[in-house]
Amino acid sequence: MQTRLHFAALLFTSIAFTQVAQADQLAAIKAKGELVCGTLGTDEPNSFIDAKSRQLVGYEVDLCRAIAQGLGVKPVIKQLAVAARIPELQQGRIDILTASLTHNKEREALIDFSLSTFYTGQRVLVKKSSNITTVAGLAGKKVLTVKGGTQEPNIRKAVPGVDVVTFETAGQAYLGLQQGKGVGYVDDEVSLLNNYAKLGAAQKDYIVLPQNISQEVFAFGIRKGETGVKTAVDQVLRGLEKSGEAEKLFFKWYGPTSNVKFQKRTFKIESDKIDA
Amino acid sequence: MFDLNFLLAGDYRDWLLSGLLLSLQLMGITLLLSLPLACGVAMLRLAPSRLLNGLGAAYVELIRNVPLLAHFLFWYFGAPELLPDAWKERLYAGNIEAVSAVTALTLYTAAYMAEDIRSGIRAIPAQQFEAGRALGLSFLATMRLCIVPQALRLAAPPLLSQTLNLWQNTSIATVIGVAELMYQTQRVEAASFRSVEAFVFASVAYLAVSLAIAGLAAWLQRKVA
Amino acid sequence: MLELIHDYWLYFLVGRYPEGPLGGLALTVLLASLALVLSLPFGLLLGLARLSPWRLLRWPVAALIHVVRGIPLLLVIFWAYFFLPSITGHESGQFGTMLAALVIFDGIYLAEIVRAGVQAVPKGQVEAARSLGLTYLDSMRQVVLPQALRHMLPSLVNQFVSTIKETSLGTIIGLAEVSFIASQVNGLVLTKPVQVYFLLGMTYFVLCFSLSRAAFWLERRQARLLKAAA
Repeated sequence: MQTRLHFAALLFTSIAFTQVAQADQLAAIKAKGELVCGTLGTDEPNSFIDAKSRQLVGYEVDLCRAIAQGLGVKPVIKQLAVAARIPELQQGRIDILTASLTHNKEREALIDFSLSTFYTGQRVLVKKSSNITTVAGLAGKKVLTVKGGTQEPNIRKAVPGVDVVTFETAGQAYLGLQQGKGVGYVDDEVSLLNNYAKLGAAQKDYIVLPQNISQEVFAFGIRKGETGVKTAVDQVLRGLEKSGEAEKLFFKWYGPTSNVKFQKRTFKIESDKIDA
Repeated sequence: MFDLNFLLAGDYRDWLLSGLLLSLQLMGITLLLSLPLACGVAMLRLAPSRLLNGLGAAYVELIRNVPLLAHFLFWYFGAPELLPDAWKERLYAGNIEAVSAVTALTLYTAAYMAEDIRSGIRAIPAQQFEAGRALGLSFLATMRLCIVPQALRLAAPPLLSQTLNLWQNTSIATVIGVAELMYQTQRVEAASFRSVEAFVFASVAYLAVSLAIAGLAAWLQRKVA
Repeated sequence: MLELIHDYWLYFLVGRYPEGPLGGLALTVLLASLALVLSLPFGLLLGLARLSPWRLLRWPVAALIHVVRGIPLLLVIFWAYFFLPSITGHESGQFGTMLAALVIFDGIYLAEIVRAGVQAVPKGQVEAARSLGLTYLDSMRQVVLPQALRHMLPSLVNQFVSTIKETSLGTIIGLAEVSFIASQVNGLVLTKPVQVYFLLGMTYFVLCFSLSRAAFWLERRQARLLKAAA
């Protein structure tokens, strides 16, 4: 039985690592006439479902549409689970990842990144009744977050004794916090601020802990080695920045009229470098 | 490339092994709880009262026609919210994830086992039951002392097959944050991006226990036959 | 609960369609139906392979069957999700992955049902068909399988109910079937988890219970017809 299993496993592995011969992806996208963007659809205001129109909307969705327009193709927005983002890109099921994807060193080994499109931190939302005022106070307590992102490793690094419970979607983790199943909810700063704003009157029961447990640089994910796609995407992004369109999009989703209420934009879309 | 050693040392191994242990514990506790519950439901369905029969049938139909995933979500995100605040706080301070998982699994498994036990009971000749009543035992006592022990022996094969299902069903607990084997496999995969090694470990672990249960079933059948 | 239904009933039933791919209850039923229709021939082939006289065919198939029966459906789904594209050289979305996983998993369980159904057809039928000059394939197709399928119908409907329940696991790979939509609505509304999940449970219950009642009725009707014919 063991040998049969090992054989099966070896078979799977060798097949899995066989690269299917691919033509240049950019040419393929143009030939298809479609750019498939992978988004989360559960991370307001980056990408989320508008309840009335049942459409996927958001900052990254708009950027995806702009890139598709720049390439002269139709945008197709596909919804992904957080943990599935990189595998879906690697397997060619989507063309680019526009899914609140953090650009970090570990991931650079697997995929390429476009110019950074957003800078944010990661913070923890707690209920005032828990009497926790600093991140260090989370030691020995239960925090909730989503599976497959950078949240779990970051909070464990920041608070070595913390107990982390993860769920399939950020929404479920946030619900867990509300119900009191954990004392803290860890997420990207902008998502947290968005949730906090939507609390409305209940805001008095919650606080966002002041510390950032990590600096998150978001960028679009591109399949490794597809320099054609990267150049084209970066070109469109630079164009958007130069024309002021990028700043307009930022203020549309994150500005004073949004839930997050950022008063100004502290970055420009111009670089794809990250600090180690 | 495929590298099992990667899994056999350090953090990843600890995570996976703790997940495997928790899965086994989930299965064990659920078995202990669902067998008596299943016997109870089977007897409800065979009781001389139409109302009790209906209750038993309603339980079985309601549970079996809803997927286990929905049961897990309901017992974790839904039901506990209905408890009074003091109870809720005590529950949430403990391991609510495991409690919800065991609740959902127990109710689900008992619904299926109840049907198998009921078939077992019905296979026992009516004279056994009549003899028990003739000796002056009540319905419940007859059931408890004469019928159910024989029925359980008869129902052992389908019950073991339900145990196999239960073992595999523990994997769904990952959606409510229970850190069992499937959850830890997802965690290893997310942390290391080595999906093959992680899934192979999980597959081997699930298979090994499944084979053990099937082996136990085969051995039991030979003993009884 | 009424406002919940009022606000989200369309999303619950069809997901983002037509602004996006089909989702919700419609997707659940579509996925389960396709899976059943495809897993039947697959199960039949597997059943026949299990009974074949060639060891080279019997053993790998038996191994495959034992392995798949020993691991949870969730793990089969993950395997399909991560590795199917590399094997088939062909991208498949979440729907394709879920469909493949269900066909494989259910096909293996169906192999037994199909085998029992085929064996329940009286041998006289096969002999009569062959003596009329029909080939093996033709006698299978025109005489045996139609009768076998009629015998299998109650078990098939029960299998359909199981498959509908299995589609709920698509949530985990992000397939927008009805459980995923329920969780999404829950995330949008936040204050009514009991109602949302109760509605989800009721939806499955109504669908599956009516189907299993239909199976029960079919079984009784068959038993009656058999008694009448005897």
